[in-house]
Amino acid sequence: MESELQQLKEQAEEALQNINNDQELESFRIQYLGRKGGVITGLMRRLSSVDKADRPRFGALANSLKNEIEQLFEQKKNALGAGLSTKGASDIDTSLPGRFLPFGKLHPITQVMEEICSIFESLGFAVAEGPDVETDYYNFEALNIPPHHPARDMHDTFYVTDSILLRTHTSPMQARIMEKQDPPLRYIAPGKVYRCDSDITHTPMFHQVEGFLVDKQVSFADLKGVLTSFTHHMFEKELALRFRPSFFPFTEPSAEVDIACVICEGKGCRVCKKTGWLEILGSGLIDPEVMRMVGYDPDVYSGFAFGLGVERIAMLKYGIDDIRLYYENDLRFLSQF
Amino acid sequence: MKFTLSWLSNFVSLEGIDAQLLADKLTMLGLEVDAVEELFTDLDHVICARIEKVTKHPNADKLTICEVNTGSGDTLQIICGAPNVREGMISALALPGTVLPGGVKIKKSKVRGEVSHGMLCSSRELGLSEEHAGILDLNPDLTLGTPVNRALGLRDTMIEVDLTPNRPDCASVLGIAREVGSFTHQSARLPIKEVTSFSGDSVDFKIIVENPELCPRYAARKISGVHIGPSPDWMQRQLLAAGMRPINNVVDITNFVMLELGQPLHAFDFNTIEGNTIVVRCPRDTETHFTTLDNVERVLESDMLMICNEHQPVAVAGVMGGLESEVTDTTVDVLLESACFNPVSIRKTARKLNIPSEASYRFERGVDPEITLIALERAVQLLEKYANGKGFPDALDVYPGKKDMLTLSLRPERVNNLLGIQLDHAEIIRLLESIEFEVSELDGVLNVQVPSFRVDIEREIDLVEEIARLVGFNEIPTTLPKIGMDSPKKDPMRVLRKEIADIMTSMGFYEAINYSFISEKFLDSLCLADNDPRRKTTDLLNPLSEDQGVMRPIMLPGLLENIRHNLNRQQTGVKLFEIGKTFSQQVQGELPKENYHLAGVLCGDRYPFAEQMYHSDTLADLFDLKGSVQQLLSVLRFSNESSPTHWQVLAQESFDARYCELATTLEIVVQNIQIGLLGSIRSDVLADFGIKQPVYFFDIDLNTLLTVNRLEKKFSSLPKYPAVKRDIALLVPADIPAGQLLAGINDLKEKMVESVCLFDVYKGQTIEKGYKSVAISVTYRAENKTLNDNAVDKIHKKIVDKLMSQFNARYREGSVV
Repeated sequence: MESELQQLKEQAEEALQNINNDQELESFRIQYLGRKGGVITGLMRRLSSVDKADRPRFGALANSLKNEIEQLFEQKKNALGAGLSTKGASDIDTSLPGRFLPFGKLHPITQVMEEICSIFESLGFAVAEGPDVETDYYNFEALNIPPHHPARDMHDTFYVTDSILLRTHTSPMQARIMEKQDPPLRYIAPGKVYRCDSDITHTPMFHQVEGFLVDKQVSFADLKGVLTSFTHHMFEKELALRFRPSFFPFTEPSAEVDIACVICEGKGCRVCKKTGWLEILGSGLIDPEVMRMVGYDPDVYSGFAFGLGVERIAMLKYGIDDIRLYYENDLRFLSQF
Repeated sequence: MKFTLSWLSNFVSLEGIDAQLLADKLTMLGLEVDAVEELFTDLDHVICARIEKVTKHPNADKLTICEVNTGSGDTLQIICGAPNVREGMISALALPGTVLPGGVKIKKSKVRGEVSHGMLCSSRELGLSEEHAGILDLNPDLTLGTPVNRALGLRDTMIEVDLTPNRPDCASVLGIAREVGSFTHQSARLPIKEVTSFSGDSVDFKIIVENPELCPRYAARKISGVHIGPSPDWMQRQLLAAGMRPINNVVDITNFVMLELGQPLHAFDFNTIEGNTIVVRCPRDTETHFTTLDNVERVLESDMLMICNEHQPVAVAGVMGGLESEVTDTTVDVLLESACFNPVSIRKTARKLNIPSEASYRFERGVDPEITLIALERAVQLLEKYANGKGFPDALDVYPGKKDMLTLSLRPERVNNLLGIQLDHAEIIRLLESIEFEVSELDGVLNVQVPSFRVDIEREIDLVEEIARLVGFNEIPTTLPKIGMDSPKKDPMRVLRKEIADIMTSMGFYEAINYSFISEKFLDSLCLADNDPRRKTTDLLNPLSEDQGVMRPIMLPGLLENIRHNLNRQQTGVKLFEIGKTFSQQVQGELPKENYHLAGVLCGDRYPFAEQMYHSDTLADLFDLKGSVQQLLSVLRFSNESSPTHWQVLAQESFDARYCELATTLEIVVQNIQIGLLGSIRSDVLADFGIKQPVYFFDIDLNTLLTVNRLEKKFSSLPKYPAVKRDIALLVPADIPAGQLLAGINDLKEKMVESVCLFDVYKGQTIEKGYKSVAISVTYRAENKTLNDNAVDKIHKKIVDKLMSQFNARYREGSVV
């Protein structure tokens, strides 16, 4: 049988050498490798009639012959090259579109909000959410904004009753969490907020991410570090940053953070009102009064808080020029992001 | 707060500081500059010109034709209507192309048939003052052709600062000057150096402060013999630049001093002060109404502080004067008030009366209690100079609320720890002294005396903030907090929402976000019953409009509005979902219950954004949505093959989703818990939302879903033996749901039956009336052997027999079992 195999191999080699086109190659394939009646297939079948003792050896030989011939066949096939693949070219119009079942997309606000949250989560911040309809206490008083404080002018508030309102920021979570837990704390609070204001730059509902960190020995320099790190991740480049003194009743010192205008890169344009800077968030060290109200000793603990508007960041990131588009849910808008 | 550089430079030297640098410095000190505006640049093409000849206009009595010399050798014909026009007069000529401050564009035009090459302007037309009696009558020495802004020294820069509520001291030019002093190493110059204290012995009026807690200080001085008239042009220009309208010299002076020193003043006509007595008190029971100087009758409340004469109120303290006591053209003697009121009281009153005024703005944030007499003196000097008045040498100063200067202790190490910097004591002292704080050191602690004008500084932390902003926030280093590692627990609701959103988008749904408030009328549009619990809404007291009056108790209205919006913009298919809260007011006066919901809607094309050639125009129907929900729940492992999602047909009597067609609405049940609803919206409901084609929707209560267990991921061995498939085609009565046939097979619990699926349901001409053809495919498999035909036949027959008997089914003719 061994000689038979050897002979078969030589025959196949010779046959392959003389092949010049696809048809001949195909007949070769059928003759030798075809599943029904191919020489090699036949050989394999005959193995069962071989002496049991010899069967493994012949089996191995037959297999290696089969592999060799298949290899040679592949080589020849490749050598004939383009000949095979051009077959039927005229039948298939490859310029036709691909077939797919369309995906939908997340709202740009959700996308940006999740991006913001994931940056802070990667810094170890936990996420907490609170009620949209909030008490005056958590929205204002616990944040050092007593009744009749002029800072209430900064919040055009929707009221449900005298003491219940739609939260004007997600900062109430600061008080709600600090009341229940002891430092160290690292939290962000994303969510919907409401102000009775509506024009080309304001919608009565919008989204905010509030964040805060409390521990021993937390400083303003730390606040700068965390927010700088966030901004660089969010805008995917090392934009220049400016911290500017401001006022929020629940932080002191308070700072607004400006980034170099992403549109004109600081040269001055319509978006940045020719200042080269864009305000993106408010921040500050948590006011000792806020700490005292939740029972923390401000001489032991310090912390910082910040809040940012999601719509604004999305506008800057994507160049959206009308805030009202966010809530029309026009598919031509939603499909762009 | 708006002010001009010329005004500011009266208080502090601005040498070497241009407007832009000043704006940057102020902004970085916390006084955010909103605008820097060059003034009177619009007057670059308004020139000094001489009227050489005046003749009557042939077609109009009140108009004249003037020949005007522009200095360049040309003489222009100008039509003028001013009564004061005369030959030889030098006035202001606006040349064509000029846009006047009021927005009027000057062009060459014909006035009643006569050409006019420009316009001769009044002071008001140029935005210089309120004077509009005639055209400007300028100094005859001015060079012809010179732009008036240069000739009159009008060029100036206005700066607008957006003040934070904690800095009322900077609601004055003086306050801004003090801030400038901090970085230019100077102290602001007061216009009045010293004020003598008044004995009050010789005045002919009295002051009684009945509520000293609401009025810590009340000073007044009488000025006699004033001549009411316009204030000087320069003062009017400063007021206009600051955004205030000039009225007359007395009123303008009070406003001017307020802007300059931050102390609101009020001038009463002395004759209206009956009994020559000022009483500072709250209204008596009978005093329920009061007419303010804007001629509006106001309703008074008992806690509003009023300034009264012997008999009745003459002003709302700190907010607005009264019509009766106002200074008028006939006023001769003036009583000038300079006072200090309780900020909260003023704020309440101004809010209740809805009068936001420049005075109340300052009082409710706090004015410097020590500027009272300086402001009074400044105003008196100006009244003497510009209103021909005579200040009475003595005055009254009632000061029941006098307080000692506030001294705070400051720990330098606390400053450094909180800010993350290293400042030595000397540096901290230097910084605080630069804004007029006085500092002394004792045992390493600094004692800081707060100047009276900084009413916002009450605590050590306030000093820390001052130091931070004076150092400059950008000079503070940038570090990262050293805080222990932690792996916070994730909020399961948030995780669920994210998972859902990802699956929904992967099934072709776009995410919508709608306002949380809706119009109450939508609840009627949705046909909710009167006793439907969703009628217990959380209502806003002050919505922006009726359309946003109640917090949504149900997700649907927003999504239906989105469908209409998109269909109206030629979208042929809309697939949207929203994850958001609904609100239900369970107990009045408490916070409502907020529940997260997932809602989805489907309308129009099945594959709206796909390649049309592969998905020709098929319309989506109920089963697209049913499949999506089924898929969602199974990917999330709320259901699986052994615990499938159950679809419950609703009974009429328990049906409260009246916006849906009862027949095509299903309750979604997983693991025996009802989690939501799926169905088609009634067409009359859709019509109410302006939608003319079918809409399918589902709504799942996520708070409920969150209570359902996730089914475990569990491996079972892959089958080793082949499966055998057999099909059944039966005719069954048309009213039998096909799903019951499947359930019937499953009920047999045959071990060999691996799966059962429906592959055709057909009603039509070839089928006997009252029947439908249902084709089912059953897959058989054994765990431990290859099934032979005999074994399969046996079970299959059992199944067929059961279906035949249970559902009164028959073989479909020509079909093979």
